[in-house]
Amino acid sequence: MGIKNFNIWYVSSFLISIAVAIPILTICAGFFENTSNYYSILKDTFLFDYINHSLILLMGVLFLTFIIGVGAAYLVSFYNFPGSNFFKWALILSFAVPPYIYAYSLTAFFENYGTAFSILTNLFGEGEYNKHIPKMDGMFGAIISLTFSLFGYVYILTRASFHYQSQNLIDLGKNLGFSKNKSFFKIILPSARPAIVAGLSLVAMETLSDFGTVDFFNVSTLTTGIYNAWISFDDLSLANRLSFFLLIFILGLFVLENFSRKKAQYHSPTKSGFKSKTLINLDRSKSTLVVIFCSFIFFASFMFPVLQMFYWTIIFPKHFNDLNILSLFINTGILVLLASSVLITFAFISNYGNRVTKSKLLEALTTFSISGYAIPGVILAVAFISFVAWFDNTVVQYFGFKTIKTIFIGSILGLISVYFVRFYSLACNGIKSGYLKINYSIDESAYLLGYSKFKTFKNIHFPYLRNSILLIGLLIAIEIIKELPITLIMRPFNFETFATTAYIYASQDLLEAAAVPSLFLILITSTFILITSRYTLRD
Amino acid sequence: MSKNFLEIKDVTFEASKVNKVHNVSFNIEKEGDIVCLLGPSGIGKTTILRSIAGLTNIKSGKIVLKNKVISSDKIHIEPENRNISLSFQDNCLFPHYNVLKNIQFGAERNKKKKQTISTEEIIKFLNLEKIKDKFPHQISAGEAQRAALARSLVTKPDLLLLDEPLSNVDQSFKEEIQVKLKQILTEHKITTIIVTHDSYEAFYLGTKCGIILDEQLKQFDDPYNVYHFPNSVEVVSFLNRGILIPAKVTGENSLESVDLGIITGNFIKHYPKGSDVQLLLQPEDLEHDDQSSLKLEVVDRKFRGTNFIYTLKTASNKLIPVFVHSHHIHQHQVDEKFGIKLPINIDHIVCF
Repeated sequence: MGIKNFNIWYVSSFLISIAVAIPILTICAGFFENTSNYYSILKDTFLFDYINHSLILLMGVLFLTFIIGVGAAYLVSFYNFPGSNFFKWALILSFAVPPYIYAYSLTAFFENYGTAFSILTNLFGEGEYNKHIPKMDGMFGAIISLTFSLFGYVYILTRASFHYQSQNLIDLGKNLGFSKNKSFFKIILPSARPAIVAGLSLVAMETLSDFGTVDFFNVSTLTTGIYNAWISFDDLSLANRLSFFLLIFILGLFVLENFSRKKAQYHSPTKSGFKSKTLINLDRSKSTLVVIFCSFIFFASFMFPVLQMFYWTIIFPKHFNDLNILSLFINTGILVLLASSVLITFAFISNYGNRVTKSKLLEALTTFSISGYAIPGVILAVAFISFVAWFDNTVVQYFGFKTIKTIFIGSILGLISVYFVRFYSLACNGIKSGYLKINYSIDESAYLLGYSKFKTFKNIHFPYLRNSILLIGLLIAIEIIKELPITLIMRPFNFETFATTAYIYASQDLLEAAAVPSLFLILITSTFILITSRYTLRD
Repeated sequence: MSKNFLEIKDVTFEASKVNKVHNVSFNIEKEGDIVCLLGPSGIGKTTILRSIAGLTNIKSGKIVLKNKVISSDKIHIEPENRNISLSFQDNCLFPHYNVLKNIQFGAERNKKKKQTISTEEIIKFLNLEKIKDKFPHQISAGEAQRAALARSLVTKPDLLLLDEPLSNVDQSFKEEIQVKLKQILTEHKITTIIVTHDSYEAFYLGTKCGIILDEQLKQFDDPYNVYHFPNSVEVVSFLNRGILIPAKVTGENSLESVDLGIITGNFIKHYPKGSDVQLLLQPEDLEHDDQSSLKLEVVDRKFRGTNFIYTLKTASNKLIPVFVHSHHIHQHQVDEKFGIKLPINIDHIVCF
């Protein structure tokens, strides 16, 4: 048998990909199922609104995250100004604030008699301030919340791309007589295009799959439509059909970008010819403007929600005392530990299987299975429940076994299973990118030195990828701590996390009570992000 | 039971549609022999090594090592079970281990074998003492290549495969390493196949040389024979150590060229009198003589340290290379006339 042939690695990798793909296949299959009358009602009434709102939200968020993310990345990558090193990592702290918590802060601050009103009253005495305070609600509030929570994707990827741009490129522009503006638009920006597009794609997926924010601001999007189809009309097929449209839409964006890029390469295949950039020193006035811009982004994206939550925690200490923080810590910790161990282990096996077998089928299957990240959490949870119900009703009952619904629905196992599908791409791609740095001849060298595939995995790959694994573990932890819809739907009865507790309070209009879990959530994720930034922003 | 150490029988090696070598057959008779494979880039030399190592499946034929079939259309022994070591051209040191640990990885394989070359011995031998604690990214390409070579050598493999082992080594250091490499391979009787572009390296290291051209093993012979008795025009052209000029066979030991007149010598192959042939003229075949009546025009002169290679133009515009010792009493400039010693006698006459 040759090394390319069928073996235990192939089988393991194949089974993992199939398991991850099941909910996605359920959604695709749902497209062909009959739906209730609600679909025809929806077609004539709200469907257009759902699509329209989703598009407006998407365009608004993409536009603003592009401006803020690329702008901030450009400034910290090419210029030297007071605090530039601080902003390099401080701006990624926005990742710690989930959009729904940002939405709570925004509303709390700008609402009638909210925090802004209190500040003005304390500063200037009693007055009719409410009519002068802008209202950050509805679509506008949703766009702002999502923008400041998600621009970090564009920022971090673009910044990494700028970091690896050689000074030679910029010098070449100067030689050709380009002005700074022309260099930016003709050389710097196009070179970072894949990174910008990757960042915007993540923003697009997160925006389209967001549930907490749009639900809070009462904006009807395709995601809320899907949720309504399931909750209000009990029509899983319709939910799946709408999800399918959403997936096709996201896929369309990727195809369009790939097509427009053609075969252009955006990086040099070798390290040779790379020259580190010389940072440009700004004069005082420009420097001040840049500091103001970066400070505003940092304040608006991170300090503002933290201070708002902190403020409430202090003035309403009762909520702090009422909350069983230890229990929330333990619950969140259990989920993080279980999910990250399962995800990393399986992603490792799958990647190694792909690497050893070099099977195109396996690679295609893995690529398909990681598309779970593009599917809103609500939909995945629903698809998972649909599949378990179908499997229980047909296969399990046919053989006369005990029902498996209780094992998978409303249980930790079920919750971890859906996390697994949702975040598999994160773990899989993370390990894959680590593997890409290991030349395949390294494996071959190990085989030729007498190391079996398992020994190569244990003695060569694992030690080499140790840092990548830690990084992926942290990223998974950040995502799981912030995750809301899956946890909300799949969690066992009375099993709460910081995210679900914050949501439950907010949905009961007890925003001040939501402050404590939100603050803890932000502080924990910030700590993880700061540790992560050691790897991602390493110069 | 075969008496050969390694047998390659009618093997078709194929990495892709454009990278393949058909029906290759050759043997390594004794343990400790060194075979060098020469050929242009992209012809499939590395594919041959990878297939022998078991990293690529062969299309047909069979490979037998120490009387055991390791590759055929039905059998494929996994690379880790072949005890064949391959040193890659791009060195492939494990990036997260230092040079010493990388070499020790190799030593671990055959630690139970008595004759294993010690890690210390090989480090000293290949001048790696100063870099043994460094990581692969901290050393030069040449140093990495020596470290990879050391790692392969300490495994004491049944068969060692080296892919351009000295391509990144500094020219100043190359000859020293070549000598050391030959010494260690010979002393420890390590049977080796080396792929190289450098014909001088192949001629020095190899007990046999194979020339791969046009998807075939064109010639497999002693280095002396490959150089002096190339078996085809393609091999002559590849080695680029001579030119072919038209001539007519005039007798058992002579032929006549329009440009050079009568040439005598021993034909390595019989040609009937009156045959039109292409005569191979190598730089050492003609001698310089200022007093000669046969004068040719110098069109180029290359200084090669120990000698000059003059390129001379004949009356029919053929360009002929001629060696002259660099201590020769005077030099000839371009456009000057250059005398060729008469009568011309070539030890062995190769014609096509």
